Amino acid sequence: MKRAADVTLVLVLLLASAAALLAGGPAATPADAFAALAGGGTQEARMVVLGLRLPRLLLGIGVGAALALAGAALQSLLGNPLADPFLLGISGGGAAAATAAFALLPAAALGLVPAAAMAGAAGATGLVWWMARGPLGSSSTRMILAGVAVNAAASAAILTILSVAPSPRLPGALAVTMGSLASANGAAVAWLAPYLFVPAFVLLLHGRDLGLLATGEESAAALGVEVGTVRRRVFLAAAALSGGAVAFAGVIGFVGLVTPHLCRMVWGQNTRRLLPRAALAGAALMVLGDLVARRAVAPAELPVGVVTALLGVPFFVVLLRRTS
Amino acid sequence: MTLLAASALSGGYGGAEVVREVDLAVAEGDCVAVLGPNGAGKSTLLRLLAGILPATSGTVELRGRPLAAWRRREVAQAVGFVPQSVSFAFPLTVAEVAQQGRAPHLGPWRPPSPHDHAAVAAALGRVGLAGREGAAVQRLSGGERQLVLLARALASEPRVLLLDEPATALDVRHQLDLVAILRELTAKGVGAVVVVHDWNFALRVANRVAVLHGGRLRAAGAPEEVLRPELFRAVFGVDVELVERPGGVPFLVPRA
Repeated sequence: MKRAADVTLVLVLLLASAAALLAGGPAATPADAFAALAGGGTQEARMVVLGLRLPRLLLGIGVGAALALAGAALQSLLGNPLADPFLLGISGGGAAAATAAFALLPAAALGLVPAAAMAGAAGATGLVWWMARGPLGSSSTRMILAGVAVNAAASAAILTILSVAPSPRLPGALAVTMGSLASANGAAVAWLAPYLFVPAFVLLLHGRDLGLLATGEESAAALGVEVGTVRRRVFLAAAALSGGAVAFAGVIGFVGLVTPHLCRMVWGQNTRRLLPRAALAGAALMVLGDLVARRAVAPAELPVGVVTALLGVPFFVVLLRRTS
Repeated sequence: MTLLAASALSGGYGGAEVVREVDLAVAEGDCVAVLGPNGAGKSTLLRLLAGILPATSGTVELRGRPLAAWRRREVAQAVGFVPQSVSFAFPLTVAEVAQQGRAPHLGPWRPPSPHDHAAVAAALGRVGLAGREGAAVQRLSGGERQLVLLARALASEPRVLLLDEPATALDVRHQLDLVAILRELTAKGVGAVVVVHDWNFALRVANRVAVLHGGRLRAAGAPEEVLRPELFRAVFGVDVELVERPGGVPFLVPRA
């Protein structure tokens, strides 16, 4: 049954990707798009499909995988089913730093935006963890409250920067706070790759450790986990994944929360098996969400963050009611 | 052969020393019961022995080498630790928890071998949880959860087993099972340290007892030498009577 679920997951991702490349406005109908992908078609169709839709698809795959991996890892590391880069303020911290970078850096240095987002995400992660940690370890309630505080501070910082920043920079800064894949291009995809692959490898390396940490630090240490080292690495990896996602697609909520739980329902709680599947499922979810965002109110477009929130909020409520 | 040895071991939390200058050795086949009033430092001593709490001074040696000289995973391969309780944030099954016991032997990439699966099945069978592999631990009673944690430690096939109040939530049938399991293990040369509150449980299972009071080792030795009425008066502030039974384990009764 799990094998069938694996096959289904890959098929869903492939079909969603095909739909994302083929579906669209009159500039490239499905037939035009197919021709363009096959190497023919009009110049305009090739430009739309290869220059716009393909990078957007790849960015969606990367961002969805990054957020789902970060969420799955943080849930296990913190032993908290409600952990998610968005709810814990990690994406918010990254967004605040990215907004500041957009507003303050000279145009030539905008390549540093993802690094700033990663630093902001790492800072927010450390802050939430420090605030949530009491003498007896961290509690779910304290952690979510710390996330609320960090999110509020990040929003305040973003609004302050937007109020005082020079106006030509504002579109870029606004895109960070909205959560959208619309600004995707080949360079963004290339920039995201190291923020995805290096942390993903670190998390897979510690997949088994993360499963042990889900039952508490003392329990994990007794089973051979170097808790301090693993915690530092996983926090940094989650911050890099969240920061990378925020830098190129803005704040997109709930993918990191919902995806791992859906995967846990299908594949069980073995973290080593869960992580790669969560990455694929996050990618599929993001591609599908972006498809809805593009087509639901065409020719206008919704930010994909709106779609993931519409999906994620009811899920969060159910999870909150179930978690003691 | 000495498996685990603490000398002048001290440690605690946030600068406060809870355990002070304790000497304790566990040899092959030993079962050491650690007794003492609430807050005496029993659980802390166990954490120090397992190396999951760093000592502030003194040393713990595993097979003659300081714990710090071993890798964490190597210690976990040799030393099984059964905590009082574990918080299960996710709906893990009984089998998934028991399989965690094999983690120290697997490392990051190696999938479980037939031997790993067999060790898990044997451990679950030994604690009486065969057939319950698919049950969610979150839904189990406190006693059943203690059995799952015991199975997890047994699955790791340890040389030394450290148990923190493993019998508190167990009914009398399972307490006797636990006694039998500990006797089987020690007969095979495994060393065990058991923190207990039940003196009679200690008398049944241990060949040596250590009594902690205020973080210090108050007495240590053979049960019948250590568990004397004078010690109970001094450490617990209660009067007890040692009832001898011809041909059986004596038992202790507090005088009301």
